[in-house]
Amino acid sequence: MSRPLVALAAAVFVLAGLAPLAAMVPRVESADLAAIFAPRNLELLGRTLLYGASVALIATAAGLPFGFLVSRTDMPFAALLRPLGIAPLLIPPMILAMVWTVLADIRGAPAAYAVSSVSTFPLVALFSARAFERIDARREEAARIAGGWRAALRSDLPLVLPSVACGACFAFVFTVNDFSVADYVSWLGQPKFSVYAAEIFANWRIESRPGLAVATALPLLAVTLAALVPALVLRRRGAMASLSGDFRQPEPFELGPWRWPAFLFCLTLVSIGALIPAARLVWEAGGAARGFEFARVGQAFTLAIERGREDLANSIVYSLCAATACAALALVLGHALERARGGRWLESLVVLPIGAPAVLLSVGVIVLWNHDWSARFYDEGGVVVLLLAGRFAAFAILIVSAATAALDPRLEEAAQLAGAGPFRTLTRIVAPSLRSALLGGWIGVFVLSLRELDATMLTPAANRTAMFRIFNQVHFGRDDFVAAMALLILFLVVLPGALWSLFARRRLELLP
Amino acid sequence: MLKPDSFRSSRWLAGLLALVCGALGACSSKGPDVVLYCALDQMFAETLVKEFESKTGLVVRAEYDVEAAKTVGLVKRIREERSRPRCDVFWNNELAHTVALANDGLLASYDSPSAANIPAEFRDPQHRWTAFAARARVFIVNTTLADPAQLTSLEDLFDPKWRGKVCMARPLTGTTLTHLTALYAAEGDAKGDEFVQRIEESGVNLVQSNGQVMRLVREGQMAWGLTDTDDFNVALNGGHPVAQVFPDQAPGARGALLIPNSVALLAEAPHPDAARKLIDFILSREVEEKLAFAEGAQIPVRADVKRPPHVKSAADLSLMRVDWARVGADIERRMTQFKERFLQ
Repeated sequence: MSRPLVALAAAVFVLAGLAPLAAMVPRVESADLAAIFAPRNLELLGRTLLYGASVALIATAAGLPFGFLVSRTDMPFAALLRPLGIAPLLIPPMILAMVWTVLADIRGAPAAYAVSSVSTFPLVALFSARAFERIDARREEAARIAGGWRAALRSDLPLVLPSVACGACFAFVFTVNDFSVADYVSWLGQPKFSVYAAEIFANWRIESRPGLAVATALPLLAVTLAALVPALVLRRRGAMASLSGDFRQPEPFELGPWRWPAFLFCLTLVSIGALIPAARLVWEAGGAARGFEFARVGQAFTLAIERGREDLANSIVYSLCAATACAALALVLGHALERARGGRWLESLVVLPIGAPAVLLSVGVIVLWNHDWSARFYDEGGVVVLLLAGRFAAFAILIVSAATAALDPRLEEAAQLAGAGPFRTLTRIVAPSLRSALLGGWIGVFVLSLRELDATMLTPAANRTAMFRIFNQVHFGRDDFVAAMALLILFLVVLPGALWSLFARRRLELLP
Repeated sequence: MLKPDSFRSSRWLAGLLALVCGALGACSSKGPDVVLYCALDQMFAETLVKEFESKTGLVVRAEYDVEAAKTVGLVKRIREERSRPRCDVFWNNELAHTVALANDGLLASYDSPSAANIPAEFRDPQHRWTAFAARARVFIVNTTLADPAQLTSLEDLFDPKWRGKVCMARPLTGTTLTHLTALYAAEGDAKGDEFVQRIEESGVNLVQSNGQVMRLVREGQMAWGLTDTDDFNVALNGGHPVAQVFPDQAPGARGALLIPNSVALLAEAPHPDAARKLIDFILSREVEEKLAFAEGAQIPVRADVKRPPHVKSAADLSLMRVDWARVGADIERRMTQFKERFLQ
């Protein structure tokens, strides 16, 4: 490891992701902290925990079989359904909520549970699929010879459970930190279904107590970290566990007459989470209830490109810059976290910016950067890139550290024995071996940045992005324009992964 | 002496830094002549801003509020940026938060000549803000599900025959928060509390926003609801079977609430001269007329400004009397009160 390089990368990460949060802490007063324990807050927190845990459970019930079926069986079209299964994670949950409240006429708490579960099941599916693939064929064969396929599955289950639990922890974290779904769908639920994140958002608007939102965020931050730390530990036992040199790829399970029912099950999940919402957006773009016409779809896209061109370009530039910066940070810090002594303990610090409510990061950026000496930077796009990199770098760093764990350290030792310095070893030996993880991290950050709204809501230059325009047009019922813009965003979100799938030989590393 | 590897490392680092600086530099541009924070919907304000730019040659950096933040995003930014104001002109789509900013000393006085014929009740005596083009709080009625003639007063929300069929936005943000705060200010705490209590007890569906009220009614999921005139006009222009009702128009009734746009010059605005020109333009009769003819169908506060037939004149309506100074002072207290009541 090149210490100056690690120190530089760590400084950039601290500046981008941790300093804005630290800048908010001095605002907290003792009265703000006391408010945390108000019975109403505790009740909201309790309900949110139950909500998050239930969603994680439902996501597991759907994601575990999905992950198994697409990765380890002879199910028809498994290769197609596997990447499609990630799509619900990429669609903003608010869009899923808008589509399904109209189509299925579900409301209140059940709708919030259903939408959040659909949105997060791919997390469990991704971790499960990876874990099922990493079971050594010989171990499975031994179990199969002793007791058939059922015995093989029984022996596989303890091996995949840590990964499944890790995916469930991430599903929990995503759910408890989002209030848009519960807020949107709970209008007919009696009693009203409010969640704790909505309380933080509401407190942010109370000007006379600037520390209240920060104080209210602390329990949710603690809960998030309490879920993420076990997730980080579990991924070491599961998806991230090193493969030995003589690893043998396991054989696919033969489903026999269950092939097509299994296909239907996976297709249903993908349809609910991605295909139907996308189809609905096309229908909206084409005129919806006023009478669908393909010509109108074209017109809506023309309008979206004409009016939103500049915003789309800004979104792409900011996301490209943030993703590239994060990939560079991830190579240095992800590798260091895995190889340095005590690095694993620092992982919980790395995940802090994704665990903290977005709006705190956003206000923290104003506090930190709105000064005369930094005015130019604050007013222009640089601050958006810094904000996005700070918020999402953890994903890229963890993906790279996971890939580093699977990399034989003897390669690096050999390079150093041959006279290569730490920097050369990192760039010439480590980086090429981590290519698919680096690209996976890059794509992850690009996608998350492209669809981010909350963290950038108060940042001047982020005012001119595609997501910003979409949400402002929703208000005025410009359904065709909104649908076309949303489809353009979806296209951009899916494009890098699709290109990799089409042209690359290696599978993309997308798991943290 | 540098070792070859550390030499390469320095070059690599320098290259990376140059790349990052280049990328950040590419995101920069020439500074604007005036900075506008605008809570009016982006789709309407953009055209007007471009017109101002072409008329004056000045470059406006317009920053809009995201709908989810309901004005409060920009207000929050103005407050957070207090140590180094970067906004020159604040164009708010309501008045209460502008008054609150004025009360906190964040606005400067400017008596725009364009405001000369705006009625006094829409102008701050100290000239820290001026109000114009308004929305009204109205009922949007799906005419296939309800007869608009049956609806006359805000209290109809609580009529048992509509239980489960009417909706309004949760009074945590936006014009619904302003509306309830104004009710408290006009009718006192006891009547205000009673009104809020009845909202809870009567089963009014409290939804996310006025926009959602409009969607639910136009699609027939609700019979009618309380929203703003601009939302109603979106549904009307979309060809949906909807009608609007201005509540409390009977003699002696409380009147309909008019929520005007407001514009203000920021204290210590970085570009005060250009800011004044922009304010003069925003308060001009032409802009108020354009806002009346736009999809939002804003109601002109000047009686002699042209408007399309479907846009009422403020003079034709029985209006609720509002002490905006009090509403501005109370709004945060009410927000906290309603949050504890409705966010459960």
